[in-house]
Parts: sequence; C-alpha cells; structure tokens
Amino acid sequence: MPLAAYLLVATLLFGVGLYGLLQRRSLVAILISIELMLAAVSINVVALTTLSGGDPSLGLVVSLVLVGVAAAETAVALSLFVAIERHSRSIDVEDLSELKG
Amino acid sequence: MNWAGAVFGLSAAVALLGAVLAVGLRNIFHNILGFALAILGVSGVLLSLGHDFLAIVFVLIYIGALAVAMVYAVMLSHSLGGGRTPRRRAKILGAAAFAATATAAIWLVVRNAEWSPAGGRRELEAAWAGYRFLTDYVLVFELISVLLVVAMVGAVMVARRARPGKEG
Repeated sequence: MPLAAYLLVATLLFGVGLYGLLQRRSLVAILISIELMLAAVSINVVALTTLSGGDPSLGLVVSLVLVGVAAAETAVALSLFVAIERHSRSIDVEDLSELKG
Repeated sequence: MNWAGAVFGLSAAVALLGAVLAVGLRNIFHNILGFALAILGVSGVLLSLGHDFLAIVFVLIYIGALAVAMVYAVMLSHSLGGGRTPRRRAKILGAAAFAATATAAIWLVVRNAEWSPAGGRRELEAAWAGYRFLTDYVLVFELISVLLVVAMVGAVMVARRARPGKEG
C-alpha cells in the first residue's frame, strides 16, 4: 500500500479522537479519545519509518515508548478519575468547576 | 502484495468504525468496546506494514491492560454512563467544525510534504529492535521503566481511600 493511504487513515483516526476530546463530557470518554489520537500517532511513526527512508527498527522503538507512556498515563488518569468521583460524585467535566476563578 | 492490501483495507475500516463507535455512542461501556475494536484495527494496520511484534504489543497492552482497567474504573465509579442530560447542539457543532478543520489542515500539510522514498522494503526483526533498546536507546529504556514504576505507585497512592485519622 502507498504511504499516503497509511497517513490518511492516521489523520482520520486523529480527527475522530480530536472530535471526541472536544465533545464528550465523561472523563473516561475523553481519555479514550486521547488514546485514539496516540494510536494514530503510532501508525504515522511506524508507516513513515517503514515506507519512507530511515530505520524501521527506530519506528518500533518509538512506538514501544509511546505504548509505555500511554499505559502510565492511563493508570494515573484512571486513579485520578476514581478519586475525583469519590470526592464530587461525578466524572462529568462540566460539573468539575471548583477551580474556576 | 494483494494480501497486505486486503489486510490494510479491512483493518483500516475496522479501526475507523471502532473509533466512531468509541466516540459517538452514549454508553461508556460501549465506548470502551469501540475503543478495543479500534485498537484491533490499528494493530491490523501495523501487521500490514510487517510489524507483527508491535501488533501483538498493541493488542496486549491497549486491549488487555488499558481497556480492562477502564472497565474497572467505570465499575468503581457510581455515576455510570453519566450523560443523562441532553447534549448541547452548539458544543457538538463546534467540536465537529474544529475537528474537521484541524483534520483538513493536517491532511493538507501531510499531502504537500516531500517524503523521501524508502530504498526498498527492508526486513525488520523484533530481535534487532531489542538489541537497539539495550545499546543505543538504553537510556530511553531505563526512563520508561522508571516512569512506569512512578506512575503505578502514584496511581495506587491517589486512588487509595484515605483512612480516617491517618495522614496520607
């Protein structure tokens, strides 16, 4: 497959994730959208290193680092959501306005 | 050659369908299942690039660990589902307009960039990447390990129910 097909899929996936990030109100749904955008970035990195010069094992290394960071991010985010829900009985971002000036 | 194309087309369709389900549905459990479907599609796309090891890692970590952890977090919270109040039309339209504009802008930049062509498809091995991880990128490897340890300990500390009369 040509490189452009992979880049198009990654761009569309990123766009869907961006829409969800802006539109959803549940914190877990926002986290899912961010993970979709990260997966799109992984597709881009792997496709570019595999099909467009450079070193394919570099793409593998970068993607594995991305997966590790995504795992750490999700663990911290989910524990924060549980703590927030315990504190204010809601994980709707429009209810969480305590820090609003 | 055709085999890779068929795998790519099917996986890309599955990935985009899963992403739309993960973002569009109202039920948070359905969102998580859509996310798992999208990651399955993404790992299929990686498979069509020849990255079999990375495809397995995606399924293992994203679906086996992250999606399951999300299900647990949703079950631990009482406000299941959430969205009882109707969605606001202005927010949907604004989000859709911004996301469409940003996607179009990214695609224009990607389309007009000059990508240097690959010098033939090279075979890649997970073993070679593992060798690189322990030689050239050993600092990255160690940093990821430390980051994961700190994140896990921090997650436990944050989510732990504070006992009354005891600090932290």
